[in-house]
Amino acid sequence: MGRSTVTAYAQVNATTRALYATLLTPEVWHALIQSPSFDALLGQLDKTAYGAYLKLERQILTPRRTVYQLRWHLTQAYEKLIRLTPEPGRQLLIQLWRLYEVDNLKATLRGIETGASWDEVRRLLSPMFRYVTLTNDDIQRMLASGTIIRAIERIRHTPYYETLIHAVERYEAEKNLFPLEVALDLDYRRWLWQSIAGLKGMDHEQALRLVGTSIDVDNLLWAIRYRIYHHLSVQEIINYTLPFGYQVRDADIRAIAEGADITTVVKRIYPQLEGLEETAVPLKGETSPQQHQLATLERALYRHIGKLCRGTFLGDPFHIGIQLAYLMLLEYELRDLIAVVEAKASQLPVERLASIIDIEWR
Amino acid sequence: MFRPQAMEKVELIIPEREVVRTTEALAASGIFHHIPTTQTTTGMPARVSDEWQTWTADLMAVERRILLVMEELKINEGTPPLTPPHIIEPRVAERDIERLEHEAETPIRELEAARRRLLQLQKYVAQLTPIANLEIDLGTLRHLRYTFVMLGSIPVANIERLESSLEHIPFALITLRHEGHLATVVLFGLQQDAVALIRAARSAYLNPLPLPEDYRGTPAQAIAALQAGIERTRQHISEYETEIAHLQEMRIRHLRHLLWRVRASHALANTITGYDHLQHTYLVTGWVPKASHARLEQIIAQVSDKVVIETLEPRQEDSGHIPASLKNPSFLSGFQGLVTTYGQPNYDELDPTPLMALTFPLVFGLMFGDVGHGLLLLLVGLLLAGRRIKALQSAAGFGVVVALCGASAMVFGTLYGSIFGFEDVFRAVWFRPLEEITEILLFAIIVGVLLISAGIIYNITNAALNRHWGRMIFNRNGLAGLIFYWSLLGLGARAFGAAVPIPGAVLAIVGSLSGIGLTFAEFFEHLVEGHRPLIEDDVGTYLALAFFELFETLISLFSNTLSYVRMGAFAVAHGALSLVVFIIAEVIGARGSIGYWIVVILGNLFVIGFEGMIVGIQTLRLEYYELFSKFFSGGGIPFRPLSLIPKAGKLNAPENAGS
Repeated sequence: MGRSTVTAYAQVNATTRALYATLLTPEVWHALIQSPSFDALLGQLDKTAYGAYLKLERQILTPRRTVYQLRWHLTQAYEKLIRLTPEPGRQLLIQLWRLYEVDNLKATLRGIETGASWDEVRRLLSPMFRYVTLTNDDIQRMLASGTIIRAIERIRHTPYYETLIHAVERYEAEKNLFPLEVALDLDYRRWLWQSIAGLKGMDHEQALRLVGTSIDVDNLLWAIRYRIYHHLSVQEIINYTLPFGYQVRDADIRAIAEGADITTVVKRIYPQLEGLEETAVPLKGETSPQQHQLATLERALYRHIGKLCRGTFLGDPFHIGIQLAYLMLLEYELRDLIAVVEAKASQLPVERLASIIDIEWR
Repeated sequence: MFRPQAMEKVELIIPEREVVRTTEALAASGIFHHIPTTQTTTGMPARVSDEWQTWTADLMAVERRILLVMEELKINEGTPPLTPPHIIEPRVAERDIERLEHEAETPIRELEAARRRLLQLQKYVAQLTPIANLEIDLGTLRHLRYTFVMLGSIPVANIERLESSLEHIPFALITLRHEGHLATVVLFGLQQDAVALIRAARSAYLNPLPLPEDYRGTPAQAIAALQAGIERTRQHISEYETEIAHLQEMRIRHLRHLLWRVRASHALANTITGYDHLQHTYLVTGWVPKASHARLEQIIAQVSDKVVIETLEPRQEDSGHIPASLKNPSFLSGFQGLVTTYGQPNYDELDPTPLMALTFPLVFGLMFGDVGHGLLLLLVGLLLAGRRIKALQSAAGFGVVVALCGASAMVFGTLYGSIFGFEDVFRAVWFRPLEEITEILLFAIIVGVLLISAGIIYNITNAALNRHWGRMIFNRNGLAGLIFYWSLLGLGARAFGAAVPIPGAVLAIVGSLSGIGLTFAEFFEHLVEGHRPLIEDDVGTYLALAFFELFETLISLFSNTLSYVRMGAFAVAHGALSLVVFIIAEVIGARGSIGYWIVVILGNLFVIGFEGMIVGIQTLRLEYYELFSKFFSGGGIPFRPLSLIPKAGKLNAPENAGS
């Protein structure tokens, strides 16, 4: 570990650790899940790091607006850490941040298809202002264009144009956004993988371990979902998944695509994975045992990543892993928090919600 | 000139029917700084009119539609109108833009379709070119019985994946050509595997390029037919472009006018949304320069006799919220720009612009003393200030800054005896920095001491104006700080043998007393200003902090003063750089030769450009960090008269977390 590495990471690590301390504790999660109503939930959130983003009049804080406001916390964490992180790790954080840009783009495309206005779409987006290639202005111009093809023509200056303009032929033929969304997802992960390849030493090792695992999990879950929900052919599943990964190999994806037992494949990749046998309460919409198995698997895999991230904070702190681990934990926290907000807004019973939100590893 | 204009808080009670006209008049007056409802300190409940909120949202949507039509017709926004255009209702604007959209839609869509068609035809040609020499009929390829053939383009990154996915199916994938991230490929397989092959190809984003049935014969014949199609399509594109250009010519004024009307209406609606809405009236609060109060009353009276204007006494809560309108002569606008770049002066503090206008050229000239270089800067500054260069008109305000810096450099150049680096053309009126290094460094320190003292005096004046007597007397940049500083300087000067009229013992006593004042500044300030408790921490912590505070004051006064030594160092460096130019010139050619003069001219230009820039940055650094930090907090609110002509793009500025 060179002196320059220590100097470069000193400030950002101090900041990250301070932010890490503001992650929600299991006690807070428990209180949030047990909140009797949406209003009570807001009261609980007010005492957390998210409270600063919820200082709006109560009637404005609809569930949708609340989710939007909560996203600000992630935005500010990303912007702060990107600013403080030295190169070339910074580029990886920017690329990681752009996942939300891809999500915003997908939400915009859906908005265009349903004829939604800017006002209807804006609160569904992640607030992003810095380190972006797709601005709010671009999104408004896309929405105003009226058609998918014209909207894509309006973002020629972004890295997504080439991907979308090629994939749009399939959209035109099938009138379905699925090919556009998959193309965006695949290309985004390719760029992310390239960003990891641009790192050296501990930075590379840690990025591979954390982001690589996250890419692996996405890839696995895609393959499984394509088989279970979309009933795609072996060839289609392979083409809609990634040819690279940290621990997940092509053979694993092929095995899933060809109908192998999912738990066996996953156990082969992650022998230490816990929680695969858990029997969570079947959720609404889970119509088959396979779908229930998928939900259990998702929990186990995210728990695995969560533990990896937590473990990063022990040991040598002078590498990009600290920032990545914190941001990934924050992302999972936000994702679960959104689930809690939506559950409270739809008055989902507490016991049902408790079975969805996994607070054990936090 | 030294203080922002005196302000008065006014409250207008406007009947609902008069709100539009009154708002327009307020905006046209250019003297009314509006405080939106959320910022008012009246404590009254705010009620925002839904109607105007709807206007705001609708007009924003209309603006976007107008901009889209303008973009498609390649019309830019143009410059904002000088006077606010008439207000337009959203539904009227909607009708108008709908008509314009309809008018533009057909040729634009036709043009887009023709462009796509052209691209498609070009792709067909690209696809057939590699097999152009084959003497086979394309028709036979279309109806193969046992073989599956698919020609198309695929992202290069997907080729490997497609091959991998077809591992258990017989196939051949041939890449015909690469074009950027795409490749033109042909996929062969068995007809019996067609379904699997098609699904695989589709999922790998292999877009088929099926050659239309119209193109028959050999590939060469098909290419010829395609080329003819390309020509025809180009002709159509050209016709549509002409049609759009014609439309642009016809509608350019209309669209720009509509855009600015919509923007002005949006600004109006947005402003009214920020008013307090009572039963049948609006309550509007804002600030107006005291000297313009009568004019505001007159303007409002011309609009309506039903609008009531009341003058409110500024209250405790207003402190820190009063906008500061700086009133400097226009030729000081460049210096004012430099001040506001650092921070906006507060309403109740001195405007640092005059001090900056005096000290900035002085410090610059001291470091850059040369009659020739100064003359060039003076001329450039006058050129900028005279707005002679169109592209640099926006920098006209800084012309005066450059010109005064040039003039100052000329004065110091005369004192140093330097013109374009030549030090033997005329005698130095004072001395040459390169020969008298100690003198110039000492002079720089003296100037530094005077500037630091001026900064402290400014701070004392600010504190007195705000009646912060404790801060005025005991602050490190107050009276105690000034006395402490000068006592130390006197003692220092005596130690170096300088003749100081005040005895050393007196200086030591005065210095110690002021030092005690500084050490316990917090205690004394609280005592004088009536704040309790007198000290925040426990006595032990306080004493330790107080000691380190004095130590830090001592160090910072010392380092601040030494910071100004750089002025002397730069004056020396300026002479040395010129000397280097002449040494290089003499190496290149004999004195008086063409080569010699070329090097001298280029060297001088380099010195003016490169060193001038560095000296400018250093001057700014000394002003900002050594001078302003003594007295200027810069957290004020700028006086922004209400306007209905927003800057382009301002309507869709990014929001913040709380909005």
